[in-house]
Amino acid sequence: MTDTVLHSTEATPASSKGKRRLPPFLVVLGFAWLALMVAIALSADWIRPYNFTAMDLQNRLSLPGNPAHLLGTDELGRDVLSRLIESIRVSLLIAFSATIISAVFGTLLGFLAAHFRGIVEQIVLMLADFQAALPFLILSLAVLAFFGNSLMLLICLMGFFGWERYARIARGLAISANAQGYAGAVVQLGATPSRVYFKHILPNIASTLIVSMTLTFPEIILLESSLSFLGLGVQPPMTSLGNMVGYGREYLTLAPWIMLMPAFVIMFTTLSISLIGDWLRDKLDPTIR
Amino acid sequence: MLRFFLLRLFRALVTIALVVTFAFVVLRMSGDPATIILGPEAPPSAVAAFREAWGLNDPIWVQYLSYFGAILQGDLGMSMRDGRPAIELVAERIPATLQLTVPTLILKLAIGIPAGVYAALHRDSIVDRIVMIGAVVGFTMPSFVLGLILVLIFSVTLGWLPSGGQDSWLHAALPIATMGIGGAAVLARFSRSAMIEVLGQPYIRTASAKGVSWPRVIRGHAMPNAAIPIVTIVGFMVGSLVAGAVVIESLFSWPGVGRLLVIAVSNRDLAVVQCILLLIAVTMVVSNFVVDILYGYLDPRLRNNYAKA
Amino acid sequence: MSMPLLSARHLVKTYASRRGAFTKPTLVKAVEDVSLSIDKGRTLGIVGESGSGKSTTGRLVLGLEDPTGGRVTFDGAAMPGLKTPEWRGLRRRMQLVYQDPLAALDRRIPIGEQIEEPLEIHEIGTPEERKERVAELMRAVGLRPDQASQYPHELSGGQRQRVVIARAIACGPELLVCDEPVSALDVSIQAQVVNLLRDLQEEHGIAMIFISHDLKVVRNICDRVVVMYLGRVVEEGPSDEIFSKPFHPYTQALVSSVPVPGTSLTDRIILEGEPPNPASRPSGCAFHPRCRFATARCRTENPQLLTVAAEREVACHLLGPAQVPASIAS
Repeated sequence: MTDTVLHSTEATPASSKGKRRLPPFLVVLGFAWLALMVAIALSADWIRPYNFTAMDLQNRLSLPGNPAHLLGTDELGRDVLSRLIESIRVSLLIAFSATIISAVFGTLLGFLAAHFRGIVEQIVLMLADFQAALPFLILSLAVLAFFGNSLMLLICLMGFFGWERYARIARGLAISANAQGYAGAVVQLGATPSRVYFKHILPNIASTLIVSMTLTFPEIILLESSLSFLGLGVQPPMTSLGNMVGYGREYLTLAPWIMLMPAFVIMFTTLSISLIGDWLRDKLDPTIR
Repeated sequence: MLRFFLLRLFRALVTIALVVTFAFVVLRMSGDPATIILGPEAPPSAVAAFREAWGLNDPIWVQYLSYFGAILQGDLGMSMRDGRPAIELVAERIPATLQLTVPTLILKLAIGIPAGVYAALHRDSIVDRIVMIGAVVGFTMPSFVLGLILVLIFSVTLGWLPSGGQDSWLHAALPIATMGIGGAAVLARFSRSAMIEVLGQPYIRTASAKGVSWPRVIRGHAMPNAAIPIVTIVGFMVGSLVAGAVVIESLFSWPGVGRLLVIAVSNRDLAVVQCILLLIAVTMVVSNFVVDILYGYLDPRLRNNYAKA
Repeated sequence: MSMPLLSARHLVKTYASRRGAFTKPTLVKAVEDVSLSIDKGRTLGIVGESGSGKSTTGRLVLGLEDPTGGRVTFDGAAMPGLKTPEWRGLRRRMQLVYQDPLAALDRRIPIGEQIEEPLEIHEIGTPEERKERVAELMRAVGLRPDQASQYPHELSGGQRQRVVIARAIACGPELLVCDEPVSALDVSIQAQVVNLLRDLQEEHGIAMIFISHDLKVVRNICDRVVVMYLGRVVEEGPSDEIFSKPFHPYTQALVSSVPVPGTSLTDRIILEGEPPNPASRPSGCAFHPRCRFATARCRTENPQLLTVAAEREVACHLLGPAQVPASIAS
């Protein structure tokens, strides 16, 4: 009974995404954009024209196209391009780390639930229900503001986002693999649980988990940027994409480019990953919608 | 059916209890409220008096139990900032939030479902394209970005609408539009796929093969079946009426519950935060509960299953 | 009399199927009071329709499931608890061959590694010795050692089953349970795989329990046969005798449906009525709704398994204790 209910909630966000085959051209664009973002994040220290906190008081709120500041400057004369590059690095770092934490944590809990069943399984499912009952933004608002604020805490907190999706997938697939399939056969050979779960089940469900990561990743970027926009995420002097939008908002009338640049980066990045995710889903795993 | 009802009710109550526990643990363990409220330089006597007054000297589980007991009696504590009952502070903000979110919900439903059904019945039409593109944008664009772009167009450039405050209905236009546009597109996309999925089912082909007229197939067979997944997402939208407004209320300086939450969080006002957490959780749980009951009503298979169980 | 390699006494397995967390479960008896034993190097067939509990019996004697009642003794020692280290260690001495080889193999690992896996698990030999052993095993089951790097989906059904068999005998088990090992294979392949199993069994002296719904397969390979119906043993005896002279009406019907070359199937007994369903077991003798000879007694009283002739046991009121010499009855 729980399974049918869980399944229906599982299908809710996923099936709303397209079944239509997307032209590979868009997927290629998505990969290209993502590669560009990763390259920028990795080489941020070298490619950025200025230090992202350096002020150029002669050139405050300068328009994009200025030869010294390609994307203009903000109210303190800080170079928007340099800040954008640094923001991309910070936002991607948070989103990548959090996605991996959430995948590892969720998959482990799913395996534990599948292995021990009974009370452990009930607790995991109850935690998943709880997570569904509170919007994650609200939950993180409370935690962040009360535990103070650090990059590490932010990453760990975001790492709790979406774990229940992996847990449900890992649990369901492990139970069915144990029941009749290859996993049951390996248990019967005398293998220890860690061998069964990590050598056999994990590689078999990896593609499904990776597709789920493409769903979680953009959501984490949106979440982090919302928190930072509210001033409760990444704290100055550090900067992230949401942060830049939040500060840019005050200069909307004078310098809309400060807000528009990071906003477009957020949109293109989430869009790229969604496109790649749709394509991967069709390619790797037609079973989940 | 009664057993099913009670089981769902039990699960709903457990979830709410978990939320209360979560709020208590996180908020109470994160720091000493006395030093936070009074500041690090407050005289020890004042700190001691404060701790005594708020019961902060009791063991944590006593505080927890008394907190739980108080909630059961409808007492959600006093705001540590201005000494008024938290529930009062929150309650007076609710109408403002509803002023935004109820029209938003109506907008989403009124545009989203008909557009989605139309798109499903007229694949590759203009409406279909708009729904698909709109949904992608709705998924990938953060609400605050959409809001700021609307402000940029309608307030800054055109000067038609105010960009913040709650002085008139005109002030509600941009926040409602921001939340409604994205939501409507997502709902449309969802209704579209639910409808397309149902239209591909064998019973639809059977019905039209039997000679039932197409409009009757749609109304009599396709719509009721597509309604089941659509109810889920509508339930989710109703449940997040309050929560969804946090970012938008802050963006447009709208004095609702969402904005109160952000302020209370920055002020570390425990009671108010807990009260809002609980309010949001209860809305979510109640709407999930109603959706579950509606499921039983809409899907006879589930109903029978539970009846037998 | 020497001690049997494996003996199972009064095995019962009940499954609870429940719909909700707080509802009363309905109990389904898959296996009811089944006793059997097998000596070293011998073969035992278990025959029955689907739902007869034969596969569950196979899993119970291997200790893959905990019985609800009764016990299993292997080589004089009680079966250790499920998934304990002792239980895992015992796996190298007893193995299972599956009905569906594709489901039993990991589709992401080359077959050579999968055949090697039990050796790795039980830490047998050095890596080089294992590689050699894998090649040897592959030859023994009729695969080419150079196929080791292939994946399960690149093989035919028969070849996959050979991989499963190679993996099962890798550690040199003393007992092999084959659960419908050929029913998922093409008819043309079935005989080859059955012959392979028989050759391996004879060559290595492995005791084998061969589970099948197909009498003619069992007949070729087994010394003794157990016939099951709805979770109970209805007849047991030496293979040849059961085929030449079946006692139980159910066995008679099964035997009569096996085509014999050169004869027509005119005197075939057609079973009528509902196929057996463990969830709604008829009262009395479970077979009575489909039995040609059923009497009033059959509807109310469950017949006991009794020895009716030398090494022949039958559970049927028609072959009552009157015919049984008291000294043999146990």
